[in-house]
Amino acid sequence: MKRWFMLLLALVVLVAPILAQDAPPIKIGVAVAQTSNVALLGQEQVIGAQIAGDYFNERGGINGRPIELVFQDTAGDEAGAINAFQTLISEGVVGILGPTLSQQAFSADPIAEQAGVPIIAPSNTARGVPQIGWFISRISAPVAVVAPNAVQAALELDPNIKDVAVFFAQNDAFASSETQTFQSTVTDAGLNLATVQTFQTTDTDFSSQVTNALALNPQLAIISGLAADGGNLVRQLREFGYTGLIIGGNGLNTANIFPVCQALCDGIIIAQAYSYEADSEINQTFRTIYKEAQGKEPPQFSAQAFAGIQVFVEALTELDNTVGLASFDETSDPLGQLRHHLNAQILYGSYDTPLGAVSFLPTGEIVQEQFYVAQIKMNEDGQTGSFIFIR
Amino acid sequence: MNIALFFQQIANGLAIGSVYAIFALGYTLIFSILGIINFAHGAVFTLGAYFTYTFMGLAFGFNGLLAQQKLPFGLPFPIALVLGGLAAGAIGVLIERAFFRPLRMRGGDSLLTLVSSLGIAVAIVNIIQYLVGAEAYAYPMSALGGLPPSVNFGTPESPLIVRTVQIVIFAVSMIILAGLTYLINATRTGKALRAVAEDATTASLLGINTDRLIMFTFFLSGFVGGIAGTLVGLSVTVTGPYFGIAFGLKGLAVIVLGGLGSIPGAVIGGLVIGLAEALVPSQSSALKEAVAFAILFVILLVRPQGIMGRVQVQKV
Amino acid sequence: MIEFLTNFLSTYGFLIVSMTFSAMLALSLYLPLMTGQLSLASPGFYALGGYIAAWMSTELYPPLATGTTFPIPSLFVEMLIAAVACAILALLVGVPALRLRGIYLALATIAFVEVLRVLSLNLDVTGKAIGIFNIPQPFVTKIEYLYISLPMLIVCIIFMYRLERSRVGRAFRALREDELAATAMGINPTYYKVLAFMMGAILAGMVGAVSAHFLNTWNARQGTFDLSILVLAYVIIGGSRTFWGSIVGGMLLTALPEVLRAVAGIQGLPPFLTGFLTEGRLIIYGFLIALGTLFFPQGLITPEFLRRFARPPKASTPTKSKPLQTPST
Repeated sequence: MKRWFMLLLALVVLVAPILAQDAPPIKIGVAVAQTSNVALLGQEQVIGAQIAGDYFNERGGINGRPIELVFQDTAGDEAGAINAFQTLISEGVVGILGPTLSQQAFSADPIAEQAGVPIIAPSNTARGVPQIGWFISRISAPVAVVAPNAVQAALELDPNIKDVAVFFAQNDAFASSETQTFQSTVTDAGLNLATVQTFQTTDTDFSSQVTNALALNPQLAIISGLAADGGNLVRQLREFGYTGLIIGGNGLNTANIFPVCQALCDGIIIAQAYSYEADSEINQTFRTIYKEAQGKEPPQFSAQAFAGIQVFVEALTELDNTVGLASFDETSDPLGQLRHHLNAQILYGSYDTPLGAVSFLPTGEIVQEQFYVAQIKMNEDGQTGSFIFIR
Repeated sequence: MNIALFFQQIANGLAIGSVYAIFALGYTLIFSILGIINFAHGAVFTLGAYFTYTFMGLAFGFNGLLAQQKLPFGLPFPIALVLGGLAAGAIGVLIERAFFRPLRMRGGDSLLTLVSSLGIAVAIVNIIQYLVGAEAYAYPMSALGGLPPSVNFGTPESPLIVRTVQIVIFAVSMIILAGLTYLINATRTGKALRAVAEDATTASLLGINTDRLIMFTFFLSGFVGGIAGTLVGLSVTVTGPYFGIAFGLKGLAVIVLGGLGSIPGAVIGGLVIGLAEALVPSQSSALKEAVAFAILFVILLVRPQGIMGRVQVQKV
Repeated sequence: MIEFLTNFLSTYGFLIVSMTFSAMLALSLYLPLMTGQLSLASPGFYALGGYIAAWMSTELYPPLATGTTFPIPSLFVEMLIAAVACAILALLVGVPALRLRGIYLALATIAFVEVLRVLSLNLDVTGKAIGIFNIPQPFVTKIEYLYISLPMLIVCIIFMYRLERSRVGRAFRALREDELAATAMGINPTYYKVLAFMMGAILAGMVGAVSAHFLNTWNARQGTFDLSILVLAYVIIGGSRTFWGSIVGGMLLTALPEVLRAVAGIQGLPPFLTGFLTEGRLIIYGFLIALGTLFFPQGLITPEFLRRFARPPKASTPTKSKPLQTPST
């Protein structure tokens, strides 16, 4: 099997350049936050997209025609996202993967909708993003499904849980909608929502929130935030003597939290929209390449970016197989027609991605079947760890 | 709020406040001598933390130009801390020589220096990202030796818990405060510095080498900033290139509230803001920041020169 | 040629309009600075104006039929209400705050901006962290916003030009030069300071109202400390002694990151340079700001610079002109 694969690979590598000469590469735009204080998320997305770009080109691109990823930095603000989108649209990309933040999506996606350019949002989880327009879809599941699973998993690990303390980052669109789901799950499960404490993603000291929460003796703490703030909150909860279970929201689903809470990360239950342990072939291939390039397990943001590029590539390939990409050249508006049909194909198809099997509703909302709950297990050195699948 | 909780929040407030204070000490030093707000201080603070990380012989991540590079040797944390501070001090001197000094020569006003320092900060932050990526870097938790992560000053029933690293930060900021106060008030250099602060032109006429003293100030500010960056990084990890910039707003608030140019004022200002944040009732933790800044607004209205600031007599 | 132009406008239409908005935001900070007040409150009023427009157009007005655009008169109503709300808030904040001076005032106004930001993160009416989205569009393309922003900017320029030469403008300048002397000459400092502060607030609020439509969405990330400092940089880099400085500074610094983006996209550069220009765009941006202050220590546009283009001096330069007309006793 492997040898056969290598042979195919070698063949493709040899043949691809020859094929490439008669057709220019197909440009796919990637507009994420490569700078600013959300650059950490953008950096993960760039890595995921790059891996996908190389991987699919090695496998022959779109039936032999290579793809070219065009990166434009959105920075962290709305205007930056619009500028990046405009630049990419003018450069003639067939579709765009981006932007990083939901707030940026609300700003830049209407531009793409108007220009008729398919958008796949790699990490916009806020309600209302796919509804911006027909051309907007997302590969990032809103968390409504994941959160209840995590709470169930916690209850299985510790049936004595009664009082729950909830923490969330109030300036993060993702965290503030995720916490709503967590809070209603807690109440629906008949647990006591003892306190809701808020913080900002830029905060580093949480001692006052931790003190307020621990005064109520909760047996479960639920955190919705991002890696650095979430990790510090976990660390400070533990250092203040909290011994109960901790659930981390989807924003904590990254190995980037290991350096922050180190050995104290141990035992956090994580709600995941992506698990690197998922044993599909495409995921294990992605995982291997990622680990080779980055020396750690792939985070969700990279996997989602990979999946976004994969959706573009597979939809383009399918379009080429059915009507032929060359056929658009004969129309009066080749690029516009291609973009339009590409979007229709994206919404129509189903894809076997590292995230599992995904497809889209007609609105562009992702239909993702697999969600996971994992528990962090830190190694002896306190620096590295792994997400152990529990549900 | 019961009494044990109250005391715990006081302790938390002092802990947060000492982080603000240690950030602000180097910041206020430059203001007290030169009368400029140096936004690059946040970036130098960040650099100090990265330098220490480098000197400890730890490897960088997989992104940026220096991906997976590390020094061939690794120094123990305390030595790396001091070296990191020295390197940050050198960067401070470099910034002064390359930007602030020419600006002074050309008679730029103090707001222009502020904008210049903003540009430098933007450049440094992005250089860091270009070199080592946007990821967080952590010192091993064992950096403090065998000390426990937190200390309980209360009883097991009504605990009063303080994180060990916060005690270190508090202690170091007190040492720095004492050192700077001694330097400025009791040494020849300090006397000359005060003369420069009062009037640089007169000072140089009196035979004081103002350029060297200003360079020394920048070195000291960078050194203190670098040490501070490392210690705060030890407490909450170096969260990325924007690590120190995130303290810029609070740091500014602290030095203005404390009284601009007053070194004890920076510490008191830091503790006041920390306490104000910690004592916001639990139910309104969502408004914590707003409450802290509203308090700041009111204090400024009541005491426009800050807590420790001198009343400036209006000159006719 | 036509194709190039359409392409250029569709790529840079958004940027061109952004530049006019930045110029006006810079003016809103320059106005209080004319009286010597370093107020960084503009982003607060900008945010408030934006929220008013965002809320009115999504909640108050009936939803638009598909394919129609948002009526421009309604936009004017939003701008008017934003202006009134900002004026009232500026009065309430300005009267106590403007007793402060220099950096203390700057910090008090930053505190004001920060309080507004945290409030908008907590209120339902402002949409908390996500903000307000799906804001209806008065125009089909972004460049058409020039129909609003360009007349606004021109009105601002005429207004500022006349203001600097009016009695009020001279009172402002007198306060900036020497408050004590100005007071002695019968200028009421509080009145003029609050007046300048309110004018700045009204302008920022109106710019915010249009920007909410322009950006399609509005949230707590729009009025922040970072923006305060950025707008200050517009004014100072441009030159803080004439209103032209604010306009030029605002436009230049807004365009600069996009110019660098375009430079990085030039074909045929050596790969290492393209790589650095792409990833290190903001390194260059930061250094250009720092170097800009070095080469233009008084800002890009100074009154002396303008005088070279001006017509022969009129009454506005009393030092040189004005032959003695009053007979000596």
